[in-house]
Amino acid sequence: MTEAAERVSGTSLLAWRNLSHDRARFVVTLVGVLFAVLLMGVELGLLLGFARTTSGLVDHTTADLWITPAGTTNVDIAGRLDERRRFEAMSVPGVAQVDRLMMQFAFWRKPDGGTESVSMVGFNLANGQGAPWNLVKGSIADLQQDDAVIIDTLYARKLGVTALGQTVEINNRRARVVGFTQGIRTFTQSPYVFTIHRNAQNFTFFRPDETTYLLVKLRPGADVEATRLALQARLGRVDVWRAADFAAQAQRYWLVTTGAGSALLLAALLGLVVGIVIVGQTLYATTVDRLPEYATLRAMGAPNRYLYAVILKQAAISAVFGFAGGMLMVWLVMLASAGSTVAVAMPPGLIGVLALLTAGMCALGALVSIRRVMRIDPTSVFQ
Amino acid sequence: MNRVLTLADVGVTYGRGATAFAALQGINLDIASGEMTLLLGPSGSGKTSLLQVMGCLLRASCGSVQLFGQALARDVGAEAMAALRLAHIGFVFQHYNLFPTLKAWENVAVALDIKQVPRAQQREQALALLARLGLADRAGHYPSELSGGQKQRVAIARALAGAPRILLADEPTAALDGKTGQGVAAALHELAHREGVAVVVVSHDPRVEPFGDRVLHLEDGRLVDDSRPSRSSA
Repeated sequence: MTEAAERVSGTSLLAWRNLSHDRARFVVTLVGVLFAVLLMGVELGLLLGFARTTSGLVDHTTADLWITPAGTTNVDIAGRLDERRRFEAMSVPGVAQVDRLMMQFAFWRKPDGGTESVSMVGFNLANGQGAPWNLVKGSIADLQQDDAVIIDTLYARKLGVTALGQTVEINNRRARVVGFTQGIRTFTQSPYVFTIHRNAQNFTFFRPDETTYLLVKLRPGADVEATRLALQARLGRVDVWRAADFAAQAQRYWLVTTGAGSALLLAALLGLVVGIVIVGQTLYATTVDRLPEYATLRAMGAPNRYLYAVILKQAAISAVFGFAGGMLMVWLVMLASAGSTVAVAMPPGLIGVLALLTAGMCALGALVSIRRVMRIDPTSVFQ
Repeated sequence: MNRVLTLADVGVTYGRGATAFAALQGINLDIASGEMTLLLGPSGSGKTSLLQVMGCLLRASCGSVQLFGQALARDVGAEAMAALRLAHIGFVFQHYNLFPTLKAWENVAVALDIKQVPRAQQREQALALLARLGLADRAGHYPSELSGGQKQRVAIARALAGAPRILLADEPTAALDGKTGQGVAAALHELAHREGVAVVVVSHDPRVEPFGDRVLHLEDGRLVDDSRPSRSSA
């Protein structure tokens, strides 16, 4: 430590030694930060995971604009559009291509009996807009067969499917599993069942001239907003969305209007508060124990900022170690949830947000100690 | 010898109104560099208050204090007082007030750190100060591993960090045995004479008296005697 002590500043050395010489209290601080990070990380990760899930279908297409039945609030629940709308859309300047996408709830009868609700997704095989991604078994080309469907491995057990080629019933029509994806989750817990558009119409009793969505691809250089407005004006009683706006609307609908997002945010906030309280309490106890030392520093002529630096560095050390431990726990939770229908997302941006929250939490926890040290009387060293 | 500290008609009063208590009254005093001044008096006579005023830890209620010829403003702020202490004054306390989690050299290095001595020089300077006080072989020990005398010498080394022109010591030998106490008093005396530091020592300890170049007696907050013993043990 001698060599290390030579390299660090006096405030860093005091901060580290103050913490490390009272290991029990340091451990309590770290556990507090760790659980706060775990709680915030998991809740915010779930929130982001849910958000991604709710807009997954939209995010995995390359469409510039989505035409939806009027009043549509999310991608999972929608009415019907007439096929002629597609032709009307194609006549609007700037539009290069318009694809149909089906989305409709259906009943899935398992091989061994029992029924589950599923969301049928019917896409245009030629262009692939709305096609499943992360295919791990089978082939999308096999969907050309009349009864072929693809499901996700996460829901295979729920749907009673154990192998490719297994047959089930969808809305009392025979269906055969020809492929598995991995990691395509659904927020509604009605698993997505992918098939081509014609099959989806058949399974869900849509007429051949009916669909759910129209996905618009624009010509290179076309103005997205101008074309959106032109489509809206041309088509009348439909909603025309930019893809990103429709994805955001789907996220808003499920996370805000259902209260699911609020619950997750509240739990994350609770983690933050718990962390502030624990860090605040333990740092304050350490500070009170060492008040004579702070008074000595002050008597020696140390400016207030020197004393604050010692306390803030104690908070920073707690934040760094607690954050590392907390993120390790979050990573373990993510590993455990990888095979479940609930996703904990942890992109670099969220890690950054968590790091900032942890730093802020520890800094706030240090404020009480700083307030105490602000009032310190250097003459107390003579008592 | 240069005058480093001048107190003119200084008084310190604690409390207000009916509960007011005058700890110091009408103190007129010059402290010079290169000598060791003893501050004697019974408990409650105002020794510590006077030390605090001299050390820029306590504002005088009345009168004026000059440090190196510069008068301290009556409304000088706490940060400005701290800056003055940092620049000019070192303290030695009765109970050492070392940082228990730091080794001897680190205790001295922290004082250098506050004075913004470059980090690369802190260890070297701290070790040199400890060596001057005969503690070269104890530099890597924690305070709990040192004797009382060694702790006090570490405290003196810390007080000397950054070469202050004034060293104020509050009962520096009170917690030490006879021989060790004498050794600490001798070290303080040597600092005054060899390095020109103005050393002021508050003490009840008769072992310290032979080392004083000047002796001030306080009673009831007043300076009742200011004498220079005819012989010093220096």
